[in-house]
Amino acid sequence: MDLNFITNFITILGTLTLATALGALLTRDNFYSALYMSLTMLFVAGIYALYNLQPSVVLITLVFVGAVGVITIAIAATYRAQSSRKISLAWALVIAIVSATLILHFPSAVSFNVLSNGISFLSNYLLAVLFLLATMVLVMLSTIKIIKEVGR
Amino acid sequence: MELLIALLITFVAFLMALSAKDTVRLLISLELMFAGVFLAIIPLFAKIPDTAFAILVVAIFTSGAELLILISAIVILDKLKRGVEIQKISTGGDTE
Repeated sequence: MDLNFITNFITILGTLTLATALGALLTRDNFYSALYMSLTMLFVAGIYALYNLQPSVVLITLVFVGAVGVITIAIAATYRAQSSRKISLAWALVIAIVSATLILHFPSAVSFNVLSNGISFLSNYLLAVLFLLATMVLVMLSTIKIIKEVGR
Repeated sequence: MELLIALLITFVAFLMALSAKDTVRLLISLELMFAGVFLAIIPLFAKIPDTAFAILVVAIFTSGAELLILISAIVILDKLKRGVEIQKISTGGDTE
């Protein structure tokens, strides 16, 4: 694909990512906030897709949008509080100043070509991935035990 | 470009975490921070793709573990305090 086309498309996707992240911040309903968060993740996966990083796209889409996003939306729908926002103006001001400085002085000419999608990691480090999976199952079992003990 | 978007998303997530009134909003803000982390990893694929993919996999597992622990924390908080508001958390920070 043309590099200029990719750069323009990334700018559009990046703007949409930022817009949905702001939507998650500004909406008062937890449910819509979780929906905006899932959309942000989808746009992040879209940016990965533009760089032809398919394994990463599959991981982010399946794990983040498919599992984490759906669970968060379910929890947000359960505790659907329409609480009033309490954004600290002092913090918002600091973040606005830092963001503006970054946008003004960030080197816009940084460009790079993604060489490989890194899929060989999975075959080379299968044991490490299995270890991570085992750790994940252990964490899962521990949380189930804690919740059961609290429920008694 | 990706790094700039990553930084801005992380800032939005920080602001969200600071202004959260309930733990569900806190969970969403943490996941937004991970979105920033994922975007920040992209430039690494240009130089060290295998390491970048390894970091991505570890980040995804870390976020999965964080989600598990925070969800159980929300459930326990709801069981013990009958609510998920931040103000009901009375340990680990300011106490009234």
